[in-house]
Amino acid sequence: METIILFAPLVGALICGFGYKWIGETLAMWVATGFLFLAAILSWVVFVTFDASAHDGGFYTVTILRWIESGSLATDWAIRMDALTATMLIVVTTVSALVHLYSFGYMDHDPQWRDGESYKPRFFAYLSFFTFAMLMLVTADNLIQMFFGWEGVGVASYLLIGFYWRKPSASAAAMKAFVVNRVGDFGFALGIFGIFLLTDSVEFAVIFEKMPELADTTVRFLWSDWNAANLIAFLLFIGAMGKSAQLLLHTWLPDAMEGPTPVSALIHAATMVTAGVFLVCRMSPLMEFAPQAMEFVVFLGATTAFFAATVGLVQNDIKRVIAYSTCSQLGYMFVAAGLGVYSVAMFHLLTHAFFKAMLFLGAGSVIHAMHHEQDMRNYGGLRKKIPLTFWAMMIGTLAITGVGIPLLYVGFPVGFAGFVSKDAIIESAYAGTAGGYAFWMLVVAALFTSFYSWRLMFMTFYGTPRGDKHTHEHAHESPLVMTAPLGILAIGAVFAGMVFYGPYFGSQAKVDKFFGTHEGGAHGEHHAATNVIPLIAQAHAAGDKDHAERAPQKAGHGGIYIGDDNTMIHDAHVVPKWVKVSPFIAMLLGFAAAWVGYIKRPEWPKAWAEAAQPLYLFLLNKWYFDELYDAAFVKPAQAIGRFLWKKGDEATIDGGINGLAMGIIPFITRLAGRAQSGYLFHYAFAMVIGIVVLVTYMTIAGGAK
Amino acid sequence: MSADLNIILPEILLSLFAMGALLGAVYTGKDKLALPILWATAGLFVAMAFWIGVSGDTDRMAFGGMFTDDAFSRFAKVTILLSAAAVLLLGQDYMTRNDMLKFEYPVLVTLAVVGMMTMVSAGDLMVLYMGLELQSLALYVVASMRRDNLRSTEAGLKYFVLGALSSGLLLYGASLTYGYAGTTNFAGIIAAAEGDISLGLLFGLVFMASGLAFKVSAAPFHMWTPDVYEGSPTPVTAFFATAPKVAAMGLFARVVHDAFGGVVADWQQIIALLAVASMFLGAIAAIGQTDIKRLMAYSSIAHMGFALMGLAAGTAAGVQGMLIYMAIYVTMNIGTFAFILSMRRDGRDVTDIAALNMLSKSHPTHALALLVLLFSLAGIPPMLGFFGKLYVLQAAVDAGLFWLAVLGVVASVIGAFYYLRLVYFMYFGTEGEPLDQAMPAIQWVAMVGCAAIMVLGIVNLFGIEGLAAAAAETLVR
Amino acid sequence: MDALLSEYLPILMFIGVAVGLGLVLMLSALIVAVRNPDPEKLSAYECGFNAFDDARMKFDVRFYLVAILFIIFDLEIAFLFPWAVAFGDMSMAAFWSMMVFLAVLTVGFAYEWKKGALEWE
Repeated sequence: METIILFAPLVGALICGFGYKWIGETLAMWVATGFLFLAAILSWVVFVTFDASAHDGGFYTVTILRWIESGSLATDWAIRMDALTATMLIVVTTVSALVHLYSFGYMDHDPQWRDGESYKPRFFAYLSFFTFAMLMLVTADNLIQMFFGWEGVGVASYLLIGFYWRKPSASAAAMKAFVVNRVGDFGFALGIFGIFLLTDSVEFAVIFEKMPELADTTVRFLWSDWNAANLIAFLLFIGAMGKSAQLLLHTWLPDAMEGPTPVSALIHAATMVTAGVFLVCRMSPLMEFAPQAMEFVVFLGATTAFFAATVGLVQNDIKRVIAYSTCSQLGYMFVAAGLGVYSVAMFHLLTHAFFKAMLFLGAGSVIHAMHHEQDMRNYGGLRKKIPLTFWAMMIGTLAITGVGIPLLYVGFPVGFAGFVSKDAIIESAYAGTAGGYAFWMLVVAALFTSFYSWRLMFMTFYGTPRGDKHTHEHAHESPLVMTAPLGILAIGAVFAGMVFYGPYFGSQAKVDKFFGTHEGGAHGEHHAATNVIPLIAQAHAAGDKDHAERAPQKAGHGGIYIGDDNTMIHDAHVVPKWVKVSPFIAMLLGFAAAWVGYIKRPEWPKAWAEAAQPLYLFLLNKWYFDELYDAAFVKPAQAIGRFLWKKGDEATIDGGINGLAMGIIPFITRLAGRAQSGYLFHYAFAMVIGIVVLVTYMTIAGGAK
Repeated sequence: MSADLNIILPEILLSLFAMGALLGAVYTGKDKLALPILWATAGLFVAMAFWIGVSGDTDRMAFGGMFTDDAFSRFAKVTILLSAAAVLLLGQDYMTRNDMLKFEYPVLVTLAVVGMMTMVSAGDLMVLYMGLELQSLALYVVASMRRDNLRSTEAGLKYFVLGALSSGLLLYGASLTYGYAGTTNFAGIIAAAEGDISLGLLFGLVFMASGLAFKVSAAPFHMWTPDVYEGSPTPVTAFFATAPKVAAMGLFARVVHDAFGGVVADWQQIIALLAVASMFLGAIAAIGQTDIKRLMAYSSIAHMGFALMGLAAGTAAGVQGMLIYMAIYVTMNIGTFAFILSMRRDGRDVTDIAALNMLSKSHPTHALALLVLLFSLAGIPPMLGFFGKLYVLQAAVDAGLFWLAVLGVVASVIGAFYYLRLVYFMYFGTEGEPLDQAMPAIQWVAMVGCAAIMVLGIVNLFGIEGLAAAAAETLVR
Repeated sequence: MDALLSEYLPILMFIGVAVGLGLVLMLSALIVAVRNPDPEKLSAYECGFNAFDDARMKFDVRFYLVAILFIIFDLEIAFLFPWAVAFGDMSMAAFWSMMVFLAVLTVGFAYEWKKGALEWE
C-alpha cells in the first residue's frame, strides 16, 4: 500500500506528461488527478490504521530495491513508515489531490498562453511529479533518499515557479528560488557527509542509535574543533532554513508567488516549505543531543515569525501577504521543533497545511474572479459577488488568527485549527524559554498575524469596490471544481486542531503512544481519559506522574525521539493562565486594529504610514533584505562571474584553446606537410636524424656501462 | 628433425602452395587463373588460421631455439592470416575492375604472409632477418604492382630504398648485438643482456629498434608511409595497413622481451619516445590531408604510437594491451578500407575526402557504418576502439608511465579532429555529386560487419582478452 | 695537452695518407697512362654504352633485370662452395637442405623463363 502511495503520483506524472498527446489533454489531467486521489485515500487508510505499538521500535520498513552500494556506503530504496511519515503522507497527498482538482478550474483559459498551446497537462505532470518527490522525501528511510526527494521537490518547485516562462519575472523568481535553496542544500549535504563520516551509514535506523555517541565526539571543521552533534545539527538546519524559507534564506519565498496560485498553495504553503520542519523532527534523535544548535533553531524561528509578520503588515499583493504569513508560521513550527516538542511542530504543520492551503486557494479564487488582478488596493466589497470564496477565506482567517474559546477544555481545547496548534507552540515557548525572547516574539507575531489577516479580509471583501470598474462588474464565483476543494479544506481548518490534539499534544503518554516513542506508552492513558475537566492545567495535574513513569526512550525507536530530560509536553500544559490567554488577546488586538483601520476609519492607515514613513518603507521593502543581498552577494558574484567569463573563459581558456587549435596545430601540420616533400633523401635524412637522436639520448641517459 | 619440421609445417605448406601456384599458373592459364588462386589463397589462410588457432597449447621450439611456437606467435599468426585473407577478398573486385589482378598477387601475398609468420616466431636474429626480408621483398613488389602507373612505381621504389636503409640499420644492430652478446640466439642474448649492459649492446638495441620502427612506421621512421599508402593500389594499401603491422609489432615485442627482457628500462625509453612521436605526428599531420589514403596512413602511424605505448609499459599487461589494440586496429582498418575500396564516382575511383560530402543522404547505411568505424578509430567511448586505447593507457599508467599516458590522451584528442571532420562531411557537408551506388557484397559485409563488431564487441571483446593475456604471459616471463 | 693531441695523431696520419693516396692515383693516371685512341676504342660497347660519356646517363631497365638474375645465381654459387667443400662431413639434413634450396631456386628459374624475363625483346 505504501508503495502504491509513493508511485501513484509518479505514474500519473509520466502518463500525463508524456502521454497527453495520445490520450488527450482532459483524460491526461484526470489520470493524474485520479492517481493522486487514490494516493490520498490510501494515505488516510495508512494514517488511521497506523499503530506504532504494533511494530518493533515504532516503525516498519518497506524495501523497494537495493539502491547504492559503494564501499561502506550501502543504501536501500525503502519506505520508513512511522507516525511522522504517516502525518506527512496525509498532508502531502490530501492537499495535492485537492490542488489537482482545483487546478482544473484555475488553470482553465489562462491568459498567459496563446490559443492552442498545450500547457495544462504539463502543469499537472509537474504537480504530480512534485508530489512524488515530496513523498520520496517524507518516506525516506535514509538520508540519501531524503536528499533525492529534497532535490526533487526543488526541481519541481523551480519548474512550477517558472511555469509562466513568458514572464521574465517568473523565470527570475524560479532561478532565485533554486539558487537560494542551493545555499541551504550545501549545508544539508555537508551534514549528510558529516553523519556518514562519523557513523559510516546514512540509514536512519542505524545512525539514530549512534547519535548519543556523537554528543561526546569532537570533529575538526573549518580550522576549529566542534561538538559533532551540534555541528551536524547546525549544518542540517541550514538545509532546513533554505527549504523552509527561514530568515536569511527566506528571500525566495515571496518571489515564488510568481508561480500559479495552486502551486503556491501546494508547494509554497502546505508541503515543500515544511520539509525543513520535517527534517528537524526526523532528525530529532540528533537534535536532542545538540542543545546549542537547538537554541539557535528556536532563536531563528522566533525571529523569522516576527520578521515575516511585520513585513506582512504592509504588503498589498494578496499572495505576498499570505506568503509572508507562511514564512511566519514556519517560524512558529521551528520554535516548537527547536524546543524539543517535535509533535507540536508536526501538529502545527498539519493544521497549517489545511488552513494555509485554503487561504491560498481562496486567494486564487479571488484572483480568478478578478481576472488575475492581485493588488488588494483594487479589491473591495467582494463579499456579495463571491460568497463561497468569502466564507472559505473567512474560515481560513479564523483558523490562522487562532479564534477559539480560551481555557475551555473538553478533552481537547475548543477552537479553530490554528487556535489549538498555535497556542500549543506559544505555551511551549513560554515553558521552554521561561517566558523569554521566543515567547514574546511569537505573541507579538500573533498580534501582527491577526492584523494582516483581517486587513486582507477587510480590504478584499468589505468596503467599496476600488480599481477597475469593469473587472468588478464581471467578478463571478468560481466553478465547483474550485470551491469543492475549499469546502474540504474548510473542514480540516475547523476541526483538525481539535481532532488531532490528543496524539500530538494531548499528553506525554498519548504522544508516546502515537509516535511509538516509548515501549510501554499506554500506561498513562487513563489520566487523560478520566480528565474531562474544563481546565487543561488541572487535566495535567497528574502529568507529573505521567512523565515520572516514563522509561527512557531507546535511541532509534519511534517516529521522534524525546530525550530523557525532555519534559516539554508536560511543562507546556502547566504554564500560567495569562500565558494561555495571551495569544487570544493578541489576536483580539490585531483584529481591532484592522477593523478600525480598514472598516471604521479607512483614511487612518494612510496617516499611520505617513506618520512613520521610515518604518513603513522599511517594512514595505522587506527590511531591505533583497537590496542587502544584491549588494553583498549578487553584485560581487556577477562581477566575479563577468571577470571569469570575459577574462577567464573567453580570453584565457577560449583564447588558449583557439590559439592552440587554430594557430599552433595547423602550423605544425603545415610543417609536417612540408617535411613530407616526396624526396627520398629527405626521408632517409629524417631516419638518420632519428637514429642519431636515439643513439645520443641512449648514450647520455641510458643505463649502459 | 622431423619434429622440427612438424613445428614449421604451416609455413612449409604455405610456401609449397605459393610455389605450386606460381608454376601451375605460369605454365597453364596465367592471369586467367588469378581469381581461383586468390580464392584458394584466402581459403587456405582461413584454414591455416583455424588450424593454428586450435592446434596445440604448448610452447615448442624448433631448430635449437631458432623458431618458437607459443601462444604469442599463434595469436599473432591467426590475426595475420585472417586479416590477410579478408584483405585479399576485399580487393578482388577492385583489382578485377582495374585489370590488375595478376596471378602473382596472391602468390606474393602468400610469401609475405610466410615471412610474417616467420617474424613473429623468430627466436634468433638470423630467423628474424630472414622473415623480415621475405616479407619486405614481397611487399616491395606488390607496392608497385601497377607497373605502368607512375605513383605506384614511385611508391614501390621509395619503399624499397628506404626499406633497404632500415634493413641496413637492423642488420647493423644485429651485428653489434651478436658481437657483444656472442650469439644470435635470443635465449643467449637475454642471458648476456642483464643488468647494466655494455654500450655496444645498447647501440645494437637502438639500431634494431630503429629498423623495426621503420617496419611499424613509427615516427621518425614513418616518412615512407604516406607516399607508399597513397601510391600503391588501394587493396595493397589495405594490406599494408593490416597484416604487416601486426607482424612487425609482434616481432618488435619478441625482440624486446625475448632478447632484451632483462633491460626493460633501457628500451622502454626508446619505445616511449617512438610512441609519443608517432601519436603526435600521426594526429597532427593528418589534419592537413585531403586524400583519404594518406589520411589512413597518418591514422595508422598514430595507432602504431598507441600500440607502442602498450609495449613501452614493459609488462605482460602492456603486451596484452598491444595485442588487443592490434586486433581491434586491424578490424577497424578492414572495415574502413572496405569502404574506401568502394569509393567510385562515374565508374572512376576517387580517394578525395571531399567525395564524402553528404554521404548520409546518398548512402545512409554506408555513412552510418563509416561513422561507427571513424568513431572507433578516434577512440570515442561506446566503440571498441576506445577500449583498445583504454587497455594500453591502463598498462602505461600501471607501469608508472604517467606522462606517456597523459600525452597519449592529448594526442588522441587532437587526432579525433580529423576523424570527426570526415563525419562532419558525411552528415553536414555541402551537397556534391554523390558516389556510385554499387558496392560489392564482400565489401559491404566487411564494412557493416566490422562496424557491428565495433559496437557489439564491447560486451566481451569476443573473448580475445583472455587469449591476448595468455599470449602475453608466454612472452613476458 | 700533449697527451690529448697525441691521441689524435693517428687520425692526422690517416688523413694525410688518404689525401696522398688519392692524389697519387689521380696523377699517376695522367702521367703514366698511354693515350692512343682509335675508332674501335672510342666506339660504343656491346651493351650500347658510349665509352666516354656522363656516368649519370639513362640506360635500358632490362640491364637491371639481367643483372639481378645474374646476381641471384651468383649468390647461389656462394652458398654452394662451402657446402661442396664440407660435403664429406655433412649430415643428411644438410644435404637435403641444399637440395631444397636448389629446388626453390629452380622453381623461380622456371617461372622467370616461362614468364619471358630472359628474352631481350
